[in-house]
Amino acid sequence: MFPTPIEKSSRQWQIGYQVLLPIVMLLWLAPLLAVALFSIRPDVDFTVGNYWGLPSSFEMLANYGQVFNSAMPKYILNSFIITVPTVIGAVALSCMTGFALGVYRFKGNLLIFFMFIAGNFIPFQILMVPVRDLTLDMGLYNTKTGLILFHVAFQTGFCTLFMRNFIRALPFELIEAARVEGIAEWRIFWYIVLPLMKPAIAALSVLIFTFIWNDYFWAIVLTTGENAQPVTAGITSFNAQFRAMYHLMSAGSIIAALPPVAMFFLMQKHFIAGLTLGAVK
Amino acid sequence: MRSMLKTSVAALATAAVMATGAFAAGHAEPLTGDLRINLDTSNPAPRATMEAMIARFQAKHPDLNITTTVIDREAYKTQIRNFLSADAPDVLTWYAANRMRPYVEAGLLEDVSDMWAEGTDIAQELASTKGAMTIDGKQWGVPYTYYQWGIYYRKDIYEELGLKEPANFDEMVANCEAMIASGRKCYTIGTKWLWTASGWFDYLNMRTHGFDFHMQMARGEIAWTDDRVRQTFANWRRLVDLGAFVDDHQNKDWQQSLPFLVDGSAGAILKGNFAVAPLREAGLTDDQLDFHQFPSITEGVALAEDAPTDTFHIAAGAQNKKAARAFLAHMASAEEQSIINNGENLGQLPVNANASIDDDKFLKEGFAMLSSNSPGGVAQFFDRDFPAEMAKAAMEGMQEFMVFPDNLDDILERLESVRQDTY
Repeated sequence: MFPTPIEKSSRQWQIGYQVLLPIVMLLWLAPLLAVALFSIRPDVDFTVGNYWGLPSSFEMLANYGQVFNSAMPKYILNSFIITVPTVIGAVALSCMTGFALGVYRFKGNLLIFFMFIAGNFIPFQILMVPVRDLTLDMGLYNTKTGLILFHVAFQTGFCTLFMRNFIRALPFELIEAARVEGIAEWRIFWYIVLPLMKPAIAALSVLIFTFIWNDYFWAIVLTTGENAQPVTAGITSFNAQFRAMYHLMSAGSIIAALPPVAMFFLMQKHFIAGLTLGAVK
Repeated sequence: MRSMLKTSVAALATAAVMATGAFAAGHAEPLTGDLRINLDTSNPAPRATMEAMIARFQAKHPDLNITTTVIDREAYKTQIRNFLSADAPDVLTWYAANRMRPYVEAGLLEDVSDMWAEGTDIAQELASTKGAMTIDGKQWGVPYTYYQWGIYYRKDIYEELGLKEPANFDEMVANCEAMIASGRKCYTIGTKWLWTASGWFDYLNMRTHGFDFHMQMARGEIAWTDDRVRQTFANWRRLVDLGAFVDDHQNKDWQQSLPFLVDGSAGAILKGNFAVAPLREAGLTDDQLDFHQFPSITEGVALAEDAPTDTFHIAAGAQNKKAARAFLAHMASAEEQSIINNGENLGQLPVNANASIDDDKFLKEGFAMLSSNSPGGVAQFFDRDFPAEMAKAAMEGMQEFMVFPDNLDDILERLESVRQDTY
């Protein structure tokens, strides 16, 4: 079997591996460690060029305090208000489209499915101008609703692909058996298929949550002010006219990164279950 | 004496007019409705300054419903076109000269020439920047602040080496040689984001050929391959060949260039007054840090300065232009400009000539320089004076020149072809 499991290799290899692993890990984590370190530095350290040494004073409380005293809590709240409805909307819609496309055989089924997939292959940047004009015409420019609706519409394509394939992999006999019993189609969806889709729903929710939380592009295209902008776009508001406030941006980034990380750890079981469910039959 | 009498009479007259205006506004026809203001002063201190200034305006006009939107300064630059055409506020912040030109030409900004008409307060007190606010003979906004550029140097190091503030370019080069002989660099700079290099070009070009020549270049009337432009670069090259600038400057942003000045491995920096705050925070005292005007190069060429000006404008699509004009007048007054520019607020120079200056060494020197020793004129800054496309290509060329001065011919030919495409 390739690669050979490390516990079966020679002792030298194992030692080499054990020595290299922490080094590579440190290298890999260096940018994150730098951000963490920057977030407890005072502003002065950047002017005197002390980037990697010990902070000249530990300003953790001051920096994080300033983050919470700024517009950041508002931006974080905006992020939640945008992300949560988007996740619910996209997952709910894609459960239904996935069910329809996965279970029913009808003319154009494949065509519709391809259209959903094709949406994923369009580089979203080229949609910038039309989408901006559309939200403007609908009066949704610079509103959270506008951002939510667009995200739901755009994410449903990918979610449908995921859900349809997941439903396809379910044993079709279950549905046939239910039909023989004379159960209405919507009850089949609600009582039979949906419970089986729980791992997929969980996995997809985590995924979409991170996607939307980390979205920067649409946040700056469709929103302009702190009344609607999520945290990814709001983080640069720490910058002064002339100076980049590295310490505050670092502290803000760490705060902003916490929700998706927490989400992942809380839902880890579902996440891994969802990814491997179809793999081992 | 006579002129003083004249001004005081004029001031009295305008005060009377203003008082009646305020009376009219306050009683006969109070300002009502909504006033929407978009600000790019997103950092906490300037933001608080602006909000306090708006609050004082609100107090004068209690029936006005003012909404303020603060947008991150960088994001603002990409969003301004968007909101001006889609969702126009009444009042907005922006910059003078060429930076407002695209929006003026697209018809997105309101012509406020009436506020600048002869005899108004603004025309008298803000005269120094009228040129920067004028496009096609009309004025398109009102400035609220500017700041000086110049050479900030380590006085203690200069004294240690027995150097004086240079009076001309030869002395500047001689100072630099002494500095290098002592194992230091003369100037620190970080050209990663390009604009810092164009500050050097502005000064070298304005000192070699004068303000008018520089502005002719900005308008695209002079070829980049012109011998006079080469002369400017030849002067620049004297410094580059000397090794005057810190190494690897193309990999540093301007903040990353400051440590060299703080630890004394470089003697000076050509920068705007905004560099003072971080340098003071880093421990440099006013005895260690000093300021001097960029010295003259060609004798007889009138000294001109860079002083980027920040402005307020009225959107062409504004709903409440009457209140917007009242707001601009409020913001332009000597009283407001003194407050918003003092050390606790913006810490910059007021544009209003009657405003008072904070007791700050660098602000005082800057104000004296701009008001009495800049006979050539006041430029905005390279990327505000030159059109965006030209500025971008030119700044890239300048950075390349500072690293590979032998590429100059290629660079100038490239810039010349950009010039022909741009104008």
